[in-house]
Order: sequence, then C-alpha cells, then structure tokens
Amino acid sequence: MVNCVTAHSLEEALVLRKNHELIPYVGGTDLMIHADEKSKYLFLHKVPEMKQIVEDDDYIRFGASCTFTEIIEHSLSPKILKDACSQIGAPTIRNVGSIGGNIGNGSPKADSALICMVTDSKLRLANSAGERIIPIKDFYLGHKKLDLLPDELIVEILMPKNGLDNYYHKKVGARNALAISRVSFAGIMDIKENKVKNCATAYGAVSDVIIRVNSIDNMLIGKTIEEAKELKDAYLKAFDQAIVPIKGRVGIEYRKDVCMNLLRDFLEINGI
Amino acid sequence: MKPISKSIPKRDHLTKANGSAMYVCDYPTEDVLFGKLLRSGVPKANILNVKLPGLPEGYHYIDKNDVPGTNQVAIVLKDTPVFAESTVEHIGDPIGMIVGPNEHEVNRLLNETKIEYKELEPVFDVKKSDVVFFDYNYEKGDIEKAFIEADKIFEEEFETGLQEHMYLETNGLIADYSNGKIHIHGSIQCPYFVHDAVVHAMGIKHEDVSVAQDTMGGGFGGKEDHPSVMACQAAVAAYKLKKSVRIIYDRKEDVEATSKRHPSFCHYKVAVKDNHITGMQINVLYDAGAYTTLSPVVLQRGIIGACGIYNVPNLKVHGQARKTNTVPSGAFRGFGAPQTFFAVEMMMTHIAKDLGIDPVEFKLKHVSKQGELTSTSGKFHEPVPIPSMIDRVIKASDYYKKKEKYEKSTRLKSTHTKRYRRGIGLSAVYHGGGFTGNGERDLIKAVVKLKKDPIGNVEILTAITDMGQGINTVFAKIVSQELNLPIDRIIINYPDTSKVPNSGPTVASRSVMIVGELLRKAAAKLKEDWIDGREQIIEEHYKHPEFLIPFDLSTFYGDAYPSYSWAVNAVEVEIDTYTGCIDVIGAWGSFDVGTPIDENIVIGQMEGGFLQSIGYGMMEKMTAVNGRIRNNTFSDYIIPTAVDVPNMHVMLHVEDYSHGPYGAKGAGELPHVGGAPAVIDAIQNALGVTLNKTPFLAEDVMDVLRRQKSNG
Repeated sequence: MVNCVTAHSLEEALVLRKNHELIPYVGGTDLMIHADEKSKYLFLHKVPEMKQIVEDDDYIRFGASCTFTEIIEHSLSPKILKDACSQIGAPTIRNVGSIGGNIGNGSPKADSALICMVTDSKLRLANSAGERIIPIKDFYLGHKKLDLLPDELIVEILMPKNGLDNYYHKKVGARNALAISRVSFAGIMDIKENKVKNCATAYGAVSDVIIRVNSIDNMLIGKTIEEAKELKDAYLKAFDQAIVPIKGRVGIEYRKDVCMNLLRDFLEINGI
Repeated sequence: MKPISKSIPKRDHLTKANGSAMYVCDYPTEDVLFGKLLRSGVPKANILNVKLPGLPEGYHYIDKNDVPGTNQVAIVLKDTPVFAESTVEHIGDPIGMIVGPNEHEVNRLLNETKIEYKELEPVFDVKKSDVVFFDYNYEKGDIEKAFIEADKIFEEEFETGLQEHMYLETNGLIADYSNGKIHIHGSIQCPYFVHDAVVHAMGIKHEDVSVAQDTMGGGFGGKEDHPSVMACQAAVAAYKLKKSVRIIYDRKEDVEATSKRHPSFCHYKVAVKDNHITGMQINVLYDAGAYTTLSPVVLQRGIIGACGIYNVPNLKVHGQARKTNTVPSGAFRGFGAPQTFFAVEMMMTHIAKDLGIDPVEFKLKHVSKQGELTSTSGKFHEPVPIPSMIDRVIKASDYYKKKEKYEKSTRLKSTHTKRYRRGIGLSAVYHGGGFTGNGERDLIKAVVKLKKDPIGNVEILTAITDMGQGINTVFAKIVSQELNLPIDRIIINYPDTSKVPNSGPTVASRSVMIVGELLRKAAAKLKEDWIDGREQIIEEHYKHPEFLIPFDLSTFYGDAYPSYSWAVNAVEVEIDTYTGCIDVIGAWGSFDVGTPIDENIVIGQMEGGFLQSIGYGMMEKMTAVNGRIRNNTFSDYIIPTAVDVPNMHVMLHVEDYSHGPYGAKGAGELPHVGGAPAVIDAIQNALGVTLNKTPFLAEDVMDVLRRQKSNG
C-alpha cells in the first residue's frame, strides 16, 4: 500500500496537493505520534524551494521545510528564532522537525510560531493557481483552524530583517528537554534615541491561538522611555485583561501569573 | 574497592546496541493471534451485558466462562479476577478479550463491542473508603508516657502521589499452546510468580506450564504482578484456541491498566523532650486501588520504615491499605518505603526548624547506632555508616556554606524583589535488603544451580531476571571469581521455569545479596568438587542467617531485614520566582550497598534511581479524574531527562554485609528512597516555608509565592 509521495519541486508538490488528498509532511515529528494508516502523506523535505534560507531587502525568507537544526545553524537566522528553535524537543526532533510543520500544526504551543508572531512575520502560501502572502496573525483563525485552502501549502516564512536584536524569550516547559511549552513568552523592544520604535509581545500556550495584541503594544510605540513608564500601568492592565487563559492541563492562574511576570520583567529590563 | 568491583562490559550491551536482542514484540507473528482486552470504561458497575459485533471466522471472544481452572489471579491473595465476574471495580478492569489473526480487525471488533453497565457509586478518596484491605499495628516502649512527659508535641500530615514506572518497553507476553501444555514468554520480572498464577487459573499441572523471560526494557517493579494477570488471560485464550496468543500493550493501555506507586497519607505525632524526640505515633494510609495485589507487603515495608533511620524509643505505628475504584497500586522501586521515608525526613526538618536546631545536626543526634533496636525491636547488627556518609556529602556539596547563604538571602528577600532563589536540602535513609521478615525463609526458599559441562563451561541457573539492571553480568562475575575461571566460560541465559530452579522473584533488592550469595556458595562447592571432563550440577538452598532475631508478622517484632543499605542525598535547587520552575543545580549522593560487584553497574543504578526519586519529588505528577488516568503518554507524564539533573555526584561508601557475596547487600531500590525528601527540603528552604507533599511542581511554587505576596 502506497500512502506517501515525495515531491521534488514546488510545482510538483502543488499539483500533487491539488489532485490528491495528502497531508503535508516534512519531519513527521508531530504527525507520526498519531500515525493513521488511512492517511496519505506528501513528503516535502526534498522540495528545493522550501529548503532555502535567503534574504531580500526586507525579509529573511525561511523555506517551510527547513528543519530547526538548519535554522539554528544558519547565519541569516535572527538570534531570537535560534533561541526558540534550540529549545524545541531534543536534537533528534530538531534534526527533522520543520518550521512549516510547527506553524501548520496550528498549536498555540508551537515554539517557532511564537517567534513568527512576535516578529509579525508573513507567510507565503501557494497553490497551483498562484500564491498569496498574509501576516501570520491572520493565518490562525481559531483552535487548530488555519487560513489554508485544501490545495495550499505553506511555502515560506518571511521574517522582518531588522529590529529583532533586542528581544526577550522564555519558554516554560515541565522539564529542560523534550518539553511542550506550558507557557511561552516573547517580546521585542526596539529603542532608538530614547524612543520606542517597536514594541511587540506574544504569549504562547495560553489560548486557542498564540496571543498577539498589536493595539496594546502600540500604546508604547513612538513614546519616550519616560512616557512609556507613565503608560506602564495602563499597558499592563490592558494585557491583564487581554490574556485570558483557556482551561488546560496547567492551571489558568499559573499561566496568567507567569505571563504577567515575564511581561513586567521584559519592560523592566528595557528600563520601562 | 575489591578486585571484583572493577567494571566489565555488561552482557546485554552488544545485543541491545546492535538490535539483535529479541524483545517479546520482535517475535514473528505468523500463526500468532492478537489478543486485545475489553476493559471497563466506568469505575464501578455491575455488568449487564456485553454486546459483541458479528465476529468473523477466526475471531473469538474470551471471558470468565473460558477459564478452565479458577477465575482468580494468584498474587498474594486471590481477589483479582482473570476476567471480571459480574462487576467491574476500576476503569480498565478487564472484562474479556477479543482474539484474532489481524490486529486491526481485533481493534475494530473491540471498538464495536458495547458494554451495558448498571453503574454503582465509586470511591476515589482513600480517606473516605470503608473497605480496609490490610490493617497493621505495632509498637515499642510507651508512647502515652512519651506524650505526657513531652515538652512539645508536633503533628503534621504528609501526602504523596501516584508514580508511574515508565519503563521503555511496555508490558507484553505471548502464550504458546502445544499438546495440553502452556508456555509463556515475554517481559516478565518474576517468572515463577507467573508460573504459579497460570497453574492456579488454568487448573493444570505444574509441569504443564513453563514461563520464560525475553529481553526486557525495564521493570522497576511494574512487571512484578501485572504479567501474572496478562499471562492468565493469554493462557486461557491459547488453551481454548490451541494457538499462540500475544498480548502487548501500547503506552496508553500500559499506563492506564497497570500498577503504580501507592498514593499515601502519613500522619505524624511526635513527642519532644529536651530538644530530643522521645516518641512517634504514626498513622499510614495507602491507596491500594481496586484489588489487593501486592499491597500487604508494600504496606509492611512502609510502616517498618515509618520512623526512618532514627532511634525512637517509644513508637506506635498503625498502617492501613484501603480500597478505591482506581487501577490497583503495586510494586515500584522502594516498595512502600519512599512514602514513609519522605514523611519522616520532612517531619525531622520541620521539628528541627521549630526548635531552632540545624536539621542535619538534629538528624545526626537521633540516628540509630550499631546494636540499637530497630523500629520493630530487631537490631542493627552491623555498623550504621550514616554519620560519615553525611560528612562526606556535606563536604562534597558545601552544604553548610550554601545553606547559610541561601537562608540569609531568603530572609532578606522577603519582599521578593529578586528573581531567583536557591535552596539546599538533605535526606538520610536506609533500605532493608531482601524480603520483609521471614519471607526469604518461609515463602521464597530460594534455590540456585550451577551446571558444569564436560568442557568446563559453567552455566548459572536461577530464576532471577535481568531487566537492564545488570544482574546477569554481576552473577557471572561472582561465579567466575569464586571458580577462578575466565568470565567467558560462564554461561547465563534469561530464565525459563522449565530449566531453572525457583530462586525467587527479582524484587526487594535481593538478587545480589541473597541469590548472589547462594551462587557464590555453589561456586565454592563446585570448585572443591571439580572433576575435569565430567558434567556436574551443584544445587544450593537458602539458609536463614542465624544471627537474626526471628520476625513475627502478627506483632511486627524482630529483625525485619538481615541487612540495611544506607543513603545520604543532598540536592540544590534554583527557583525562578517568575515562572515557578525548579532547576536542580546540584545533586550529591553517598550510597552504601556493601561491596559493589561491578562499580559501573552500581553507579548507574544509583544515578538512575536518584534521578527517578528526584522526579518523584518535583516532576512526576499523575492525576486521575473520576478514576480515569489522564497522563498516559510520555509528553503528559513528565519524567526527568539527563538535562534536568546535569550535576549528579554519586559516591560509594562500603560497609560490608557479613552474609552477602563479597560483602554486597541490596542496591536496586536504595537510590529511590531519599531523592524526593532531599529535593523537597531544598525547595522548602529556598521558599522559606515548610512543605509536606510530593510531587511539588512549578504551579505549587507559584501558589506559595502568591500566598507570601498576599500576606505581605
């Protein structure tokens, strides 16, 4: 019984995706936990267009089939992404698991997706008819619900090139390796000449999707540090209301406290 | 170290590394039927009807009506049914089994089978259970007088949770049928337990059953009683269908349906006079789950250890194991001791703290000495090396300096402005080697054989199983040393009850100490009687050491164990107050298992057990919601990885046992006794509170911090 097919080019992958009911598959580290013999898989680990890490004027472009190890070892990868990827699973998982799979899995606990969210990365989605580029935030519609057509593939992740150096990242797992995030937090603070050029925060493993509320983070953007300090209480209060953990294995109160503690620390470290 | 302690490669390394080792799931499945159990989906009910789908040809349903002998699994008692009679007592209780040639088809048929129940009120809270399976009492001295004369009386209750073994290989076995005989082989910790259980359930002759161990991927006690249940079920099906039947669990079924460590509540009432403990009154309550299985012996060991390593002149201990409608609790490395040792170690630190005495000094003041009475008025016949072991661990861990520094910092930082807090904790414990009381003499009566072939190779014949712990290597070393033969002349295979004598189960840290000594004696005899070119068989039978004070189980009086292994553990933690995460930044252990027969193997055992015990303390949480276990995968049930304890320092202290081979005593369980109290002590010191439960996780840390914050 043939239940898998390997694509060797993007074009081939998209045609296969269009004509058959196939589950996109790179490393299988999530899929094979609940392997279903009736499912058919489309292997994407040999699609050259999806294995590249390149840059253009504005973005670093990660092929969706790039493994976490490839991302960690690549000179173009921003440190914040390397940081998050290096805390995924264990070496064996990082050697085959992919960023596209991590995003496409739809889990709010996905560690690399958290970084794509906080950096306001974009996704290049394609089908045989064409392609579209959407902000990753719009990709997540709800619990395991994605803005992805049945014949579409995640081809690339477009991560902004600049402004990611001053970051904060904390993954809270139940142990130091092979851990699924119980709470995760990432923040970016770009301060130029005493002014907040960009402030972004994202909260994983808390709600149905990774939480990213630009409107609250925008409160601090364009402000001086002194102005931001004055807004701090209002900012924290807004997130206190925005972060509403859903019921899970880990207590609601716990995850909320951790998010707020890390957010406060993120501000304090940046002098706010 | 003696020359025998020098490590050699383990006998199973090569086959396990190159993949040629045959685990039970590696056997070819042609002509083997797959058996999958129909299990109760409710915690307590009368079974009204089992509605089967149409069974295709070659597929069968097996249940209680097919049991040819007695529908009982003989463990200690016989209350566990092979298949449910008319009621089910826990979620996962086996009702029947679907058997057939295609595994997927068997699964489909199982999913389409409907069970009609009349549900009954289950009991999940052991404190509310009124079914007392076992009730034991013992005392020494005059506890009432101690309380009357006390300056101060301390009372506290301790709670410990479930713990799952998480051996890499799940439970599994195959029953073969041929000419009225049943042969069972698989992942089996105690082949003779399985043998006896199958004989009882099948009602066939002892010689018509044989049980063999395959290569195993771990046991930790989790394959002590459950294989008996599975073997009876597989045997019933194989006997009826005259075919081989294989039952191998997936992880979910293994976690949900097999035994775990008994959850416990231990209540301590302690009399102190002139800063010295004069009496303890201890109530121990173990949650046995739905059937009695191994609970009596687990409880016995628990209550015997209830006052720890301390000399308590006036002692009154009451222990109960009660029924709840959850999966039966069973054997797990430590066997009842980790619960009470956790409680008493925490109790000692809390009393010391209240009295303003350093807890280590306080413990040292109370440690039993050679010649003093044990809890059961037996005797510590040999030296108690705890003081020098504590000394060594304190030096290695820099305990006092760290303790002072961290305590000062915890006090100063009561306003909680600093993110990370550190603490260091210490525990001191023992583990008694061998069966409790007269078990070795009256119940086990171990026998071993050595068989020399005409060429001069010597085969070791015992029922002891190597589950990865290294006993085959160790036995070979003992016999090789005693005979002065090269190690490759010693043959040892996984046991088959048709070939090996009953040397007892592979439990209770008894393999080296009891069976190893029998082998040493047999080898000494063989050496004396050695005749070149001839086949020779030497048999050796267990003899109870004469120095022991006879143990009376009805009064818990006498020597509960012939020898004691000792451990001192220190653990250092760093707590992230923003996330509650507990990081173990140092772990030190001094272990006395007598002479190590193989240093690497013993160190491996100590490291693994210590880590497992630390996991028990701060990581491994298993919750049952309405009797259903939720954590049934490796991603849900968190056990520590090597990355979680990067700095583990194991030291061996050697205090030889006069009746063990080359001075060796029990080793396997010892390291799982003291890790949890050491890590919880470290956490309570870091947080500046007193703690009384395990496991204690990040969420619990945050609860403490929240309380501290709201209290200002």
